[in-house]
Amino acid sequence: MSVLYRPVGWTRFKIGYDVVLLGGIALYLLAYMRLGPRLAPVTLPLDGATLAMNAYGTCAFLLVTLALCIGPLARLDNRFLPLLYNRRHLGVMTAVVATAHARAVLGWYFAYSPADPYVAMLGADTGSGHLLGTPFIPFGIFSLLVLWLLAATSHDFWLGFLTPPVWKALHLSLYAAYAALVLHLGLGALQDARGPTLAVLVAASVALVCGLHVAASRRAPAAAPASADWVAVGRLAELPDGRALVVRLPGGAAVAVFRHAGGVSALANLCAHQNGPLGEGRVIDGLLVCPWHGYQYRPDDGCSPPPFTERVATYALRADGENLFVAARPNPPGTRVAPLRPA
Amino acid sequence: MTQAGPALLLWDAAQIYAAAGGVTALAFLAFGLTRVDPSARGAYGFRPLLLPGLILLWPLVLWRWAVLARGAARPSLGRRYAATHRLIWTVLAVALPLLLLGTLALRQSGPLEAAPVRLGPAP
Repeated sequence: MSVLYRPVGWTRFKIGYDVVLLGGIALYLLAYMRLGPRLAPVTLPLDGATLAMNAYGTCAFLLVTLALCIGPLARLDNRFLPLLYNRRHLGVMTAVVATAHARAVLGWYFAYSPADPYVAMLGADTGSGHLLGTPFIPFGIFSLLVLWLLAATSHDFWLGFLTPPVWKALHLSLYAAYAALVLHLGLGALQDARGPTLAVLVAASVALVCGLHVAASRRAPAAAPASADWVAVGRLAELPDGRALVVRLPGGAAVAVFRHAGGVSALANLCAHQNGPLGEGRVIDGLLVCPWHGYQYRPDDGCSPPPFTERVATYALRADGENLFVAARPNPPGTRVAPLRPA
Repeated sequence: MTQAGPALLLWDAAQIYAAAGGVTALAFLAFGLTRVDPSARGAYGFRPLLLPGLILLWPLVLWRWAVLARGAARPSLGRRYAATHRLIWTVLAVALPLLLLGTLALRQSGPLEAAPVRLGPAP
């Protein structure tokens, strides 16, 4: 399959996504800059530089919160899946806004001394030995480094080059960055907050992210017992046409079981290109299409149509009355399995 | 009060790391990229996008470059990370609210504020 790398694989949806994203960020920053001075106490007016760094900082925090909400939302409701597939643009924009926050901080608090601003920033907040006054800048620096790392490795190239397990482990560091962001805000801006707005915003964000992730993990299908040779898929009537159900096997591997042209087939859930979730794709023109990059697979043997050479494992299926079962062990990639045709 | 000594050392180390990353990145783009990834052959527009990652992760880049140059197979993800996610968020769902409440308790108007101490005689 032609996979020549491009800077960005633009589609109409991605363009719309980016327009909405950039428009939303611009609106938030504009509203913050305009309304911030009016909401500040008359006796303690906000200067322009502080206003800008607060606007960028809170915007970056909300964007990370949004990025962390998309994954569990997509697991709870398929309609959020398109947001998931374009999440890397959100991540890159978040890193840009967070960098603007850091630049604003450097340009205000550390710009007027003989020391290099970066050295001044690294040496300014090292703690006082007491709980009160715990440093908050190091948590912000750590979060910013993680956001840069994730944005810098968001191109398709990195998943293949680093290997999916390493890439995935790197990108799980966003969770640590979020915890660091909460500490950065809590030990920094919230210590000086003159009203409850920021505390309520951070608390609501944390509650939303944690609540959605816990809800999504409770809904995730449990793996079948390790001894099972056949794993229950569900009732045949529940299988959507042209879409897949994802079943978790003993050991944690997942299978995409889908109905097409009156038959039922099962393929490994991981695309051979970059491990995209085949079970979240659709059957189009008789081929299962990966939602990430459009790789196609024939339902009966898991092979990409010629001249392409990608292959994924197939699985045997059997019906017991209205109930459908999938074999716990995969066939070698490319093995033909006739689609199950229920009576 | 600033800790200029360690900060200076850290900043110097960061600059040396970035310089080594820059050299590695240019070498990889010039000699390694098309050898380790056939999809990069003939594709030039995306290469500048790789620079930040190559600089940030240059030790990892050198390791993967060496491994792939030997023709090693690319492992697949093998499994989705449902169990890992579940464990992480079980911990974070408890830890994050506690961290936030802890920082709020540290506020000067919070319950941990020490009683003021007069440092000198009253005027």
